[in-house]
Amino acid sequence: MRGSGPLWLAPLRRSPLLIFILLYTVVSGGPFIWVALMSLRTTPEIFASPYSAPSPPHFEKFVDAWTKSNYSTYFWNSTIVVVSAVALLTLIGAMVAHCLARYRFRGHRLVRFVILSGMILPPQLLILSLFQILLEFRLYNTLVGLIAVYVAGHLGMTVYILEGFFAQIPQDLFDAAQMDGYSDLEIFWRIALPIGAPALFTAVTLNFIILWNEFLYAVVLLTEDDKRTLPLGIMHFMGSHQLDIGMAATGLMIAILPVILLYAFFSEMMIKGMTAGAAR
Amino acid sequence: MSGSDAEVLVKRGGASAPPALVRRLFKLLGGSGPGSAVDARRAARSTLFLFLGPALLLYLAFTVYPVLRTFWNSFHTIKPHNVEEFIGLANFHELLAKDVVFWKAVGNTAIFAIVATIADVVGGLLLALCLFSGAPLAKLLRVVWFTPVLMSYVVVGVIWVWIYDYDWGLANSILRSVGLGALERSWLGDPHTALWSVMITHVWKWLGFNMIVFLAALHALPGDVLGAAELDNCGWLAKLVYIIVPMLRPTILNLLILSFVGKMMIFDLVWIMTGGGPLWSTETVSTYVYKRAFDWNTFDLGYPSAIAVLWFLIILAFVVVLTQLLRQRDRLEF
Repeated sequence: MRGSGPLWLAPLRRSPLLIFILLYTVVSGGPFIWVALMSLRTTPEIFASPYSAPSPPHFEKFVDAWTKSNYSTYFWNSTIVVVSAVALLTLIGAMVAHCLARYRFRGHRLVRFVILSGMILPPQLLILSLFQILLEFRLYNTLVGLIAVYVAGHLGMTVYILEGFFAQIPQDLFDAAQMDGYSDLEIFWRIALPIGAPALFTAVTLNFIILWNEFLYAVVLLTEDDKRTLPLGIMHFMGSHQLDIGMAATGLMIAILPVILLYAFFSEMMIKGMTAGAAR
Repeated sequence: MSGSDAEVLVKRGGASAPPALVRRLFKLLGGSGPGSAVDARRAARSTLFLFLGPALLLYLAFTVYPVLRTFWNSFHTIKPHNVEEFIGLANFHELLAKDVVFWKAVGNTAIFAIVATIADVVGGLLLALCLFSGAPLAKLLRVVWFTPVLMSYVVVGVIWVWIYDYDWGLANSILRSVGLGALERSWLGDPHTALWSVMITHVWKWLGFNMIVFLAALHALPGDVLGAAELDNCGWLAKLVYIIVPMLRPTILNLLILSFVGKMMIFDLVWIMTGGGPLWSTETVSTYVYKRAFDWNTFDLGYPSAIAVLWFLIILAFVVVLTQLLRQRDRLEF
């Protein structure tokens, strides 16, 4: 950041602002660093002095957390659910968005309204009857059931993000493709999707983060331990290791690290994705 | 590969009228709009079915049907083993007239939604202004400040339960170290402070979100207006109140609605940090719905459905009113 005037002098004039900025940086990032430190210390060490640096760091705690509890199961369950749901959402969401943006047909407005109104439905309105319905469909306590619920629940937002982008692709392009003998499906697959890639990435990031963190649907629809996703696993782990703060911190860190790693490489994309629904 | 296909088409592309025959055929079929664009935008029924079918099928089964069923359930008593009894508006009557816990939950949710929304939006704007006014390392700081937004409620909730811990938590440790040990308390265990403590955590998690949206809006403001204010020797407070806030009004209202609606549905963080306790002091409408459905021994899905339906209608009314408000203001402004 290059301001005007001598850089080293400017801060002195604005020290209240700088103190505030420094303070907020500590407040927003500090708790994560605290957990990171605790994840490398044993519980007796933490109780002796909660805010010290690890000496020596106990890296073996991560191996313990991964192997001695069900953490690897939770992690893979989350991965399966989120990757399938995001892939499905992106594909069928793009199909709907493309269809709405490109074609005019009877019931166009109704379909659009019904799908987009999914964005404002509170989960509480769905969750009780979804519990009944999944039981009846024999999808209760299955990852497939959770994936279906996730895809249906996030379709509205996905279509909303993608449709705006697809609508901006010039119609001439599609007309030309049609002249060249492209089928409707080819037009979607070979023209709309590649051009819409930036919007697709935005939708993927948004859905990935939200679903990776999702708690309410998962806690109602999954009860068996070997089906649990990572957020449920952490809660379960917290319940059974309540007094073992050190181990619980290690468990938390396993959930935090992948997000931080992705964020370090794709920070701009993730920021853009998360705020996509709010920016007008 | 497919990208280059598109590029070739862009180069070749140009308005291409469809054959006259097709146009005539289209008119015969009863199309309304004239011109070539309308033709090209027609699709065979099979195409529409292909594009919309999978999504609509999933959406009908896992969103539309559950919503309708929740409405239906709200007029019934729903016990396990398919025992269902129609009871008309009895659920709603009990809810509105007799259920003390429900009203407690409504009060808590309202306080939460109003206070935390204002804190979110005002705080987000202030943080954005800090970075916008040329703080050093602004690019790095906005990334750091955004981090809590990406973390799950479970991660955030557990960390803050530790921060609020009576014996070794950060909050009490800081108070003791600055000599304010008299103020120390069990933040989440005390009915007077529990709701506010959860609220602080929630605001902490979402401030970065509002900050980013405001920052984008600030950067999109026309530079000459701020420059003119600078020339007029306008103080920073005057600049904020008379220029920046009015120009950001659409963003502010948008964020207010988004934030408010989100908090009216709050469940995760409360459930993880306090479970609605102590003594209903953090019970929200959503946690109460969950408890009545799955934790209480009533085993009745009808009553919590009635709560969910009522609350949805209230949220919907708020969204409609606030959106209307936003549109009107926009029209007046520009």
